[in-house]
Amino acid sequence: MIPDAIAASVLQSGLIPRGTRVQVFSEIYWVFLGLGTLVGAVVIGYMLKNAYKYSDRGGADEKERPKLGEMPTGGGKGKKLFLSLSLSAIIVISLIAWTYGTLLFVEGQTGDQGVDVEVEGYQFGWNFHYLNDDGEYSGVNTTGTLRVPVDTQVNLQITSDDVFHNFGIPALSVKGDAIPGETTETWFKATEAKNYTAHCYELCGQGHSYMEAGVIVMEEEAYNDWYAEQRASAENDSAGNIAAAGV
Amino acid sequence: MARTKLYTGIYVALFVIATMQVGIEQIGLLEESYVLALALITAFSVIKAVIVAGYFQHLVWEPRSLTYVMMLGFVGFLALTVAASYSIQ
Amino acid sequence: MTDETQPRTDGGTATALPGDSHDDGSHLPPRWSIKRWLITTNHKDVGILYIVTAMFFLVFGGMLALLIRAQMWAPRAPGEGILSAMAYNQAVSLHGLIMVFWFLSPIATGFGNYIVPLQIGAEDLAFPRLNALSYWLYLASGLMVFASFFQGSTFAGGWTLYAPLNIPAFMPSIGATTTVFAIVTFCASVTVGGVNFITTIHRMRAPGLTMRSLPLFTWSWLLTVWMMLLAFAALLAACMILLSDRLLGTTYFAMTTDGGSVLWTHLFWFFGHPEVYIVFFPALGAMAEIFQTFSGNRIVGRKWFIVSMVLVALQSFIVWMHHMFLTSINLEVKTLFMATTIGISLPFDLMVFALIYTLIKGRIRWDTPMLYAFGALVLFIVGGITGVFLGAVVLDYEFRGTYWVVAHFHYVMVSGATALIGALFYWFPKITGKTYNEFLGKVSFAVFFTGFNLLYFPMFLAWGTPRRVFAYRPEYLVWHRIASVGAVILGISFLLIIYNLTKSLISGDDAAANPWPYSTTAEWAVSSPPPLENFPGTPSYASGALEFLGSDDDGSGAAAATDGGHATEHEEVHVDHASVWPFVTGVFSFVTVIGLSGLQVGSYPAGLEGLFYQATSVVGVVGLISAISAMGYENFTAHEGGFGETWPFGGVENTKMGMWVFLASDVVLFGAFIGASIFLRVAYGWTNWHPVPHNPIPGLVNTYLLLSSSFSVILALVAAKKHSRKGIVASLVITFVLGLGFLVNKGIEWLELFHEGVWLDSGVRASTYFLTTGLHMGHVIAGLLITAYLIWRAWNGAYSEGSGETLEYFGLYWHFVDIVWLFLFPLFYIV
Repeated sequence: MIPDAIAASVLQSGLIPRGTRVQVFSEIYWVFLGLGTLVGAVVIGYMLKNAYKYSDRGGADEKERPKLGEMPTGGGKGKKLFLSLSLSAIIVISLIAWTYGTLLFVEGQTGDQGVDVEVEGYQFGWNFHYLNDDGEYSGVNTTGTLRVPVDTQVNLQITSDDVFHNFGIPALSVKGDAIPGETTETWFKATEAKNYTAHCYELCGQGHSYMEAGVIVMEEEAYNDWYAEQRASAENDSAGNIAAAGV
Repeated sequence: MARTKLYTGIYVALFVIATMQVGIEQIGLLEESYVLALALITAFSVIKAVIVAGYFQHLVWEPRSLTYVMMLGFVGFLALTVAASYSIQ
Repeated sequence: MTDETQPRTDGGTATALPGDSHDDGSHLPPRWSIKRWLITTNHKDVGILYIVTAMFFLVFGGMLALLIRAQMWAPRAPGEGILSAMAYNQAVSLHGLIMVFWFLSPIATGFGNYIVPLQIGAEDLAFPRLNALSYWLYLASGLMVFASFFQGSTFAGGWTLYAPLNIPAFMPSIGATTTVFAIVTFCASVTVGGVNFITTIHRMRAPGLTMRSLPLFTWSWLLTVWMMLLAFAALLAACMILLSDRLLGTTYFAMTTDGGSVLWTHLFWFFGHPEVYIVFFPALGAMAEIFQTFSGNRIVGRKWFIVSMVLVALQSFIVWMHHMFLTSINLEVKTLFMATTIGISLPFDLMVFALIYTLIKGRIRWDTPMLYAFGALVLFIVGGITGVFLGAVVLDYEFRGTYWVVAHFHYVMVSGATALIGALFYWFPKITGKTYNEFLGKVSFAVFFTGFNLLYFPMFLAWGTPRRVFAYRPEYLVWHRIASVGAVILGISFLLIIYNLTKSLISGDDAAANPWPYSTTAEWAVSSPPPLENFPGTPSYASGALEFLGSDDDGSGAAAATDGGHATEHEEVHVDHASVWPFVTGVFSFVTVIGLSGLQVGSYPAGLEGLFYQATSVVGVVGLISAISAMGYENFTAHEGGFGETWPFGGVENTKMGMWVFLASDVVLFGAFIGASIFLRVAYGWTNWHPVPHNPIPGLVNTYLLLSSSFSVILALVAAKKHSRKGIVASLVITFVLGLGFLVNKGIEWLELFHEGVWLDSGVRASTYFLTTGLHMGHVIAGLLITAYLIWRAWNGAYSEGSGETLEYFGLYWHFVDIVWLFLFPLFYIV
């Protein structure tokens, strides 16, 4: 549906925000906020100005005013109306078109590179199954804490074991619906080795308010050590016990 | 009444088309060429529905606006079904 | 335009309340009698009932909001605060449901009821009893919501009712079932109302009042009811399927059904997005009226304003997936729905600019209605701009499920409420005949506007908070505190509004017929409140301006004309204004729902409780069928349409048009059921899915039976044209027998499947088969009940003497049921 050539050329033009999700989000957000505030201030300011200017202060009135029972009519200022409409249309359409480039960039990132983790929501917590390079379960899993390496793309495959949840790490600007029987894909890249919190963003029952997970971003080396250790202990367990490991 | 004859003819035609739909299944066209069979069966259903709406519900003799009202509902159904089904492809 | 053509504007001097002087012919008791309000079918009475009830639910929903804000006063650890986790979830869910379904839409319906017939020159709606029925079903549905709190727990899964949290496996309480039933009942109310208003506005306009010259409030209401008709049918389908999952044990939304959860989001949002405009349009129409009246200007670009509204109404049905950007839908569909979403914002830009430019060169008077309408526009602009953020998919990915969304839609929805409160002040003198306290009105606006922004604006600043939680990051504390304070202030403003209006109702000064200079629409040309039959003569715009033909036009007689001096032709036809059956139907629908709510996955609770629910179900169903039959049998004369403008439905009688409009909504209802089956089949793998019945032949036989029964209805109609009583009875009996044959055949098929162990709960294929053909079977059964009634009437000669119109209208329904089967048969038996 979207010709790759066009998509590629738009993406390479440099106009389109790229980078981590935090970068693209904040860049677009601030542009929207700036323009939105400006447009809002101009329109509301214009409203208030006219509201003040044309308030009824009595005095002579040479304009012909509406009368009771007249056939509803109204017109005039058509040019002005369409000029304003065109202006607002240009602003809105170009803003959205601009962000569409970033959408293509963001959607094009999942897959090949980085660490793959399957995120599974349940009432009321999160399981993380680490996948190997072939996209198969590696035997490593954790509950309640997602450990990822810094400066590496982390691909999430989000699903649910019971009801509809939504997994989001606000500080890393990543989010995806966790739907039973479905998998949604998203990704993020953390640029600092520190701790974050993931929340559930879809009402899922009694424990929704506290349905969180820790996100620990580790230095590459530390992560590799941890992962190797988990692998080893997973392999020591019998294959049938994999699910119980790593808590 | 001339209309009675028309109605009878339509009634017979509907009978035949319904039988043909099952006929398509019986001759094994669904196994042979599923898409063709599905298209034929759907087309037959649409034809029957249009005939019933047009003549039994006499939409052909009513102001066209009533047809549009029904189309509105039908287009809503199509939009929902097609877009939703496509969204998970 | 000269003064001679002006209707009298000072006709409000009639002494007695005009409505009271008519109780001789119409059996309508006076206004102070409670009985009047139970049996009235007059559109103005029903409008008042709607408005008062909606205000009541505003208070209810507002209390829940205050509970939420109290809980949010600080981030809470589990068990802290005034609400438990489950109580909080219930408050959040019911606050949303009540405000959207039981406050916003109904208060607009109240204005639609009271004002629209006056604006178009109709003496009442096309189907006055159905109008009363809409109201009683609305009230019954609201009382069901009340009851649900006392049945274990009410629904606690958010107003969006996402699957599979909404099924008994995760939400087993009986109250949750009652809540879903309440929504179904509300859908029924809305559908009945929609059919009524669409017929009325299209077919009962005064001569000369073409669609092009309809007042903007009427235009907005017309488009609202069209959207309601189609959108609520989809919600009805969604909630019926959900009820089937809850009561009967089908597995549409079960966790294990592929695509089940996503199916719910499609069905819900296919309704849910039009619902936004359903809620906002009447407010927009009211804003347009108020802006014109209080600026003394006709609206700028009227034609384009109307075109924009029509475009929005159409486009509203193709934007729903922007609520689903983070689900598993594909990128192509996201792109498409992003584009349609931008598309729908543009007509709104035009309407906003049109309203703003209307102020220019005006003589703006800042009475309370104008303050509210102006304030509403300011708030709507903020809501609109923050909505553009959500239209950008990349931003939406982050905003989804956060307080950004909460803040945005409150700015939009509550700006609608703001305009409707403006409308309440605007039309208060007309409706009550009293003047409200202007000073207190202005104060209430100041408090309202302050409270509104203190409540909702900080939510933008605390947007990182997830929705529907009460534990949040400490850095948001200050914003949530401000919001909670704002909530209290907003609440106080509502108390001021209610106090002002109640006090004015009791002891306010009498209002003039037209208290507002520069108002133009017809409701201001009659007394405040208007007489029972609305107009002092036959309203007409044929001369280019409103006139009351046949009324005393010499200048001094206007008062007499509204005071029962009815020597004019509109009194020649006796019309009814009272029927008790809509009320009784409402009562029994409540009883029925309470009874059925006890059913869960095929069985009632054990012991006394189960006995109560079963007995209540039986009493309810019997009462409901009796009440509806009694309403059908009752002699009731209403105004016919066609006296003036009827485009584009000239030559189609009111009842026939009503039937067609109803069928259009039924198309969407069945369409959503069929669409759900197709969607689930696609999710399952189209060709892996085989029909549940082993053999298409019984289905084919049923096709023959239904086609034949359709043909025999045609023969009944032919017999009616020949005035042959025997012919009619014979044809109808054949229809009945054929329909019965259909049911028997179907019953055998179901029984066989049941014995093989295939039933409603045997997986998604069986569920879709049983439920979709079951819905059709329900339509057949309803048709047969009507056929039995028609046979009895025909036997007594009802249709052989008359024109047989009733038979024709029934035929429309019966052929429709036939058509549906023509699609269900191949879908569920062959392919």
